[in-house]
Amino acid sequence: MKQYNKITPDGTRDRLFDECNVRESITNRLSSMFSLRGYRQVSTPAIEFYDVFANAAAHYPAEDMYKMSDTRGRLMVLRSDCTIPIARLAATRLAGMPKPLRLYYNQNVYRVEHGMRGKPSEIFQTGVELIGAGSLRGDLEIVELAASGLGEVCGMRGYRIELCHIGYFKALMDNLDASLEKKEEIRQCIEQKNYALLRDLLEPFQKNRAAKALAYLPRLFGGVEVFDKAYELFDKDGARDSLDSLKQIYCCLRELGLAEHVLIDLGLVNQAEYYTGMIFRGYLDGIGEPVLSGGRYDNLLSDFGTPTCATGFAFQVDTIADSMECRKPKAPDILVFADDAHLSAAIHYCKSLTENGLTVENAVFEDFDMAKGYARQAGIRELHVVDNEIEIIYLKGRGNAE
Amino acid sequence: MRPIRLALTKGRLEDKTVEMLERLGYDCAPVHAKGRRLVLPVVGANMEIVLAKAADVVTYVENGVCDLGVVGKDTIMEMGGTFYEVADLGFGLCKFALAVPVGTDFYAGYHTRCIASKYVNVTRAFFEKKNMDVKIVKIEGSVELAPILGLSDAIVDIVETGVTLRENGLTIAEDICDVSARLIVNIASLKMRKKEIEPFISEIEAFADRNR
Repeated sequence: MKQYNKITPDGTRDRLFDECNVRESITNRLSSMFSLRGYRQVSTPAIEFYDVFANAAAHYPAEDMYKMSDTRGRLMVLRSDCTIPIARLAATRLAGMPKPLRLYYNQNVYRVEHGMRGKPSEIFQTGVELIGAGSLRGDLEIVELAASGLGEVCGMRGYRIELCHIGYFKALMDNLDASLEKKEEIRQCIEQKNYALLRDLLEPFQKNRAAKALAYLPRLFGGVEVFDKAYELFDKDGARDSLDSLKQIYCCLRELGLAEHVLIDLGLVNQAEYYTGMIFRGYLDGIGEPVLSGGRYDNLLSDFGTPTCATGFAFQVDTIADSMECRKPKAPDILVFADDAHLSAAIHYCKSLTENGLTVENAVFEDFDMAKGYARQAGIRELHVVDNEIEIIYLKGRGNAE
Repeated sequence: MRPIRLALTKGRLEDKTVEMLERLGYDCAPVHAKGRRLVLPVVGANMEIVLAKAADVVTYVENGVCDLGVVGKDTIMEMGGTFYEVADLGFGLCKFALAVPVGTDFYAGYHTRCIASKYVNVTRAFFEKKNMDVKIVKIEGSVELAPILGLSDAIVDIVETGVTLRENGLTIAEDICDVSARLIVNIASLKMRKKEIEPFISEIEAFADRNR
């Protein structure tokens, strides 16, 4: 049998040195921001029962989940999404806690990546969930936090956040007399901004106002002018309320000085069944996919028997980290060497150096020349020899003479 | 910021697209004198043209290293992926069809059919919709050979004039869908570089509408 013992599975990889540091620094900055705003960290198991995800399977297709069975033959999956287990947690162990719950997480999700498309199957996410806050205030808190997070991790790069309210799309669909299959085709066209096919699909409904608005929906993206056009196209049923609340959020963000970063896209209709209100996604300059996504999902917790409104978002930390430059690993400041008689003295000396903030390696070699050779090779500039007193030898760069 | 990158499918779609761009006033002279280069500037515009194989156009656009791409609907259907498909360019017209040897009835009898195709995902989706179990064999080159040699009962392929089918004793049993060239856009590019990309899309859309 072929042994796969020297490579990592498709879509996964080892992370070295600064790759870890960069990722950790993004996570730390976001986490500290979340915790200063009252969010508390939770973590859920990497393995869950399939049943936890089964109801949401429409949004996370079963074929995209890694599955296994436990010792009793029950079907298990690797966590393919962070929000669903947190909804489980909120609906069970946290059910009695005063609302709203402010939770954040830093953990991996796993998704089977079909085909060699350069997409990872192990994805590190940092995100928040605000559970039990159904108001506009909740939406505003979440989207502002997301925008601040983007600002925090963007470095010198530009960033954008796009907002949508799924209620507008749903109101239009409710006013369209079409089969579910046809509606799904229409939704896909809007999601893909496939203007041509959308026009053809809506051709039979020409006289319907909702159909006209749907045909225009993929183009309803841009700045504040989008609202005027959207109201003009359709403002019946839930459409007006959705636009009103989205506009209010937009205006607040503008007052917060974020106008140049905020974009409206009423054609953002992915996972239309999952989301129930405001939806948003974030982008950074030079990255070809969203680095942030989130929105309101008021129906999810009822899958776990405790109907509660909720909203939240997740950052794709790896996508951001991969776009940042990693530095070459830095050599330690000092190598400490001692003969057999001074082993504990050497460790004692190492510790005293680290207390001053220096990076120190204790040589594992029995022989002074080997230690010196190693220091040169590793680019360590100082070799401290611990004897009855300390002798300091300064070494020049790699391969150079003293 | 780097120029807007437009990936073109090498070959006939490339020629048609360049012709379209030139009629819209873009100077594509470097493309005509490309030699073996694969990345070529559009003179006087902050744009460059990348020449790639059809499937790679989708991959480059999906990953955001190219902002826009021109590729056949056949490739899009076969590959899937996440991007915007904003315009039907109205050229590169052909269709997907199920073809069988002349004189055979594809649906007669009860044996499990074997279908040869380069487009296995399109084939699978087509028969799934019919709730039909079939055996699908992937063929890379001239698919018409498979029924001639007796490997398959039928083929799924793109058909333009039907001449190749006829000369190899095959005939269309069923049309699957129409195919044409499409303009696709990376999702983040459209959002981050809206001011540059949107007017370009509008120009192309208007052009396609005029030629419909």
